[in-house]
Amino acid sequence: MSLVILSLAGGVGAVARYTVSGFAQERAGAGFPAGTMLVNLSGAFMLGLLVGAGGATSPWVIGLAGFLGGFTTYSTWMVETLRIGLVRLRPLAFINLLGGLVGGVALAALGRSLTNG
Amino acid sequence: MAPGQTEGTVSSHPHPRSQLSRGPLRSLAAVLGGGVLGSAARAGIGELMSHPADGFPASVLAVNLIGSFLLGYLVSRWERTAPDRRWSVQFWGIGLLGSFTTFSTFSVDLIMLVDAARVGPAVTYLMASLVGGLASALLGLRLGGGAT
Repeated sequence: MSLVILSLAGGVGAVARYTVSGFAQERAGAGFPAGTMLVNLSGAFMLGLLVGAGGATSPWVIGLAGFLGGFTTYSTWMVETLRIGLVRLRPLAFINLLGGLVGGVALAALGRSLTNG
Repeated sequence: MAPGQTEGTVSSHPHPRSQLSRGPLRSLAAVLGGGVLGSAARAGIGELMSHPADGFPASVLAVNLIGSFLLGYLVSRWERTAPDRRWSVQFWGIGLLGSFTTFSTFSVDLIMLVDAARVGPAVTYLMASLVGGLASALLGLRLGGGAT
């Protein structure tokens, strides 16, 4: 049962990622993958909030975790980092890589500390 | 996003008619279907490679590396062979592989390892995810004949 909830919520998360990141990317313009950055950082923050709140693994918690799993994406982050020139040592690629990493970890930790305790 | 915003986004495109004729609902259905399958696959692998809450997240590492390789390969194939097949990009790329891999769990797993004072596994997880993910995506892109 939890597998079904997780999968369906993950699909809804993917649709949310597609719309939110597309919307943000259109406004940011080409050149930097701002849309993926936005969903990944906000998703890491929200999962931090969820984990910090703890509690029982109710269907709601499973659903929210599934949603955030589908809302955020690792593969797109990796491919986009390469496509904007990591191998050619372009600064924007390093900003995308390190900004995603440091921002994701920091926001996940911040989210967890807000709901923990 | 409200329907009005979607329309605004679409009509601001230089070719609003051709965009609309592709069908925004069909795009959402493709992303949804791919997202459900990708999430189910990730959950299935998570069951097979389950670990304690502060243990080494091998299953997340595995899906992120496999997914990065496959997305790199597909992106470069699409670029050369079928740049106009939006449905495949939405189903396989954005939906399935986008949801199969996960950034939020990666971030939270990392702080859980650091919290549990498991510095060795945390560093291993971080380096394997970053170097491995980039190497996997690069391999996929090169095998597919894409530029980096």
